[in-house]
Amino acid sequence: MAVQPTLASAPVAAGQDIHQDTTVKMFLLGAVGYFAIVGVIALIIAAKFVWPEFLGTISYFTYGRMRPLHVNGMLFGWLLAADMGLAYYIVPRLCGVRLWSEKLGVATSILWNIIIVSAIVSLLGGYQKGLEYADLPTPVAVLVVIAWVMFGVNIFGTIATRKYQQMYVSTWYLMGTILWTAFVYLTGNFATLLPGITGVNQANLTWMYTHNAVGLIFTPAGLAVAYYFIPRASNTPLFSHKLSMIGFWSLAFVYVWTGAHHMIHGPISQWLQTISIVFSVMLLIPVWAVVYNFIATMKGQWHQLGDNVSLKFLMSGTVFYLLTCFQGPMHSLRSVNAIVSKTDWIPGHAHMAVLGTFSFMAMAGVYYVIPRVFKTTLHSETLANWSFWLFLIGGLGMFTALWLGGFWQGWQWNNPAIPFIDTVVALKPVWMVRFLSGIMIFGGIVLFMFNIISTAIGAGQRQAIPQPVAVKA
Amino acid sequence: MLQKTDSNATGFVVAALGLFFIGGLLTTVAPPLLDKSWNKPFKNSDPAKGPTGKLVGYTEQEMRGYHIYVREGCKYCHTQQVRTLASDVKRSGWKGVDAPVSTPDEFVYDWRQTFGTKRTGPDLARVGGKYNKQWHAAHFRNPRDLVPGSIMPPFPWIADNPQELDDLVAYLQTRGRAKDWRPDNDYEK
Ligand code: HEC
Ligand code: HEM
Repeated sequence: MAVQPTLASAPVAAGQDIHQDTTVKMFLLGAVGYFAIVGVIALIIAAKFVWPEFLGTISYFTYGRMRPLHVNGMLFGWLLAADMGLAYYIVPRLCGVRLWSEKLGVATSILWNIIIVSAIVSLLGGYQKGLEYADLPTPVAVLVVIAWVMFGVNIFGTIATRKYQQMYVSTWYLMGTILWTAFVYLTGNFATLLPGITGVNQANLTWMYTHNAVGLIFTPAGLAVAYYFIPRASNTPLFSHKLSMIGFWSLAFVYVWTGAHHMIHGPISQWLQTISIVFSVMLLIPVWAVVYNFIATMKGQWHQLGDNVSLKFLMSGTVFYLLTCFQGPMHSLRSVNAIVSKTDWIPGHAHMAVLGTFSFMAMAGVYYVIPRVFKTTLHSETLANWSFWLFLIGGLGMFTALWLGGFWQGWQWNNPAIPFIDTVVALKPVWMVRFLSGIMIFGGIVLFMFNIISTAIGAGQRQAIPQPVAVKA
Repeated sequence: MLQKTDSNATGFVVAALGLFFIGGLLTTVAPPLLDKSWNKPFKNSDPAKGPTGKLVGYTEQEMRGYHIYVREGCKYCHTQQVRTLASDVKRSGWKGVDAPVSTPDEFVYDWRQTFGTKRTGPDLARVGGKYNKQWHAAHFRNPRDLVPGSIMPPFPWIADNPQELDDLVAYLQTRGRAKDWRPDNDYEK
């Protein structure tokens, strides 16, 4: 078998001490903090569906401002920051060298915090571009680009100085993430604003961005994390390196074509809709390749799930990935789309991807990495286990409520004899279940944050952290 | 062979970006070149070809209203597209008349696209003229006064600000007006 997969599962090498990991710590602790803060916003917007007057008369807290804050805060403050922190951990280890520049990493982390705080302030004030997922005002978006270049330089710099020639698949996915994100982000945030880009043209660029934000940013970043931590956490070599490459290259080819499936039946050229549908169905290939690889890696190792929280998150994330990416191609089909599009089914689908799949994978990584970078043990395995069950049960409650509710809603919409307002009233129990599930998920977030922060603080109290080896100049 | 490809970072960069740009350019840059209706404002004077009418640009006041629509995130709850579905045509219509399907050439002056992804509230693509200003004022103050069971948020800071209210209503009244689809021009003011 190739060198690298075994490497990814080899016992922690003695060389581990070469890593300073300050950037990892800063990014991960920041991400965990934002997860909790934005979790409160999530509960507020979920509550507004049940009690529309709640915080309703204060302009800063109106739904239309809180929702983009929730979306951007979760995606950039928590998920992307967590994935970046994990990349700063994974890449140096897969390359057998130190991070190219720890100073640059620390600066990136500081800049990232500036971005998130300015995003919160400006979105609440109603300063937003008005483009979904690209809501951040242009000056903030420019800072994101700068931070991303700093991140990219650091990771590519590390890869360029690598000791191990062959690159493990996580490295591939992270390199892909960096390159694609750069262009996807520029498309969604800047190309959309070019003079003359209006209406359908702008929408098409926006869908190219929003869809690929999930497909070419969070998917490859999340899979890089899973490809690294599934073998690591289970101490088992990856099932097949070759299959992982098939998954990677088919993802690279297929994803970018699918943006227009957000406008099926809408005012956009029919042939473009058809292209997006065909490619959406083809997405099953990379997904099944990845999922098969993960499941086959775990063959004979399932008993490990019992007492390994990281593995629990990783494997349930894998199952959610399979389900999400089965839903995706299905609701691209014109007939299914006519029922579920624009309904509450869609947030059900979106949360299974960004919460059920990629946040689960990122949390697995954080639970694994934090004790190691602080050279200690996790504050409490029991609490970690509780957090998993809260996330899982809350998540399932939310997803199923939204699917059932959304499907029913779509069904009612297709019968124009039913007044619209009746379809709103009919969904109220569903939104109540979502709110209650949200409370469980929020409980999971709080336990997760408490555990991680206690681990970090406890490490200092329990034992003096060994002085890091002198930093490379 | 495999071994060699996964050791080659430069080759990787070229291939990953190459694949990305093929799909990216063909699905974003090519379509507006191929489908002229994306950039050419709607205009039709021949009733045989469907609804007649002409898309005009926004006035200053309507534009201010448009900014308020964006600022308040109305589009996170409202779509603006009558899809090619029988139910959309019926639901976006009012007073017993079906609404015409939305076409790309109706959105050419839209500085921020407002197609939306979620219908927590009804589609607004043809709402222009459906209600008068008093109705909107009362609705923004408290939607539940007019529509019991509604979950639309109240917008007192708009209802209490005559300028903003006028602007936003002016914008809403333009929705769907490019196509003259009402039988007797029975638009409310
Ligand atoms: C939380 C979601 C939500 C937000 C945000 C929201 N609405 Fe609504 N809207 C609704 C719902 C639900 C209805 C249907 C019940 C009703 O008429 O109140 C509705 C109805 C409407 C109607 C009447 C449509 C018709 O055909 O009867 C208009 C006009 C409207 N909204 C405009 C706006 C504007 C303008 C904004 C932004 C300032 C906005 N809405 C923000 C949920 C929302
Ligand atoms: C406490 C748990 C959560 C609750 C209660 C919650 C609630 C909500 C609500 C009410 C919406 C608006 C749905 C609508 O428009 O009808 C939403 C949208 C969204 N949320 Fe969450 N959320 C939670 C966690 C998360 C997490 C962890 C992430 C990402 C990491 C996330 C990402 C998103 C995204 C991307 C959208 C937009 C979906 C779309 O484009 O359709 N959410 N959420």
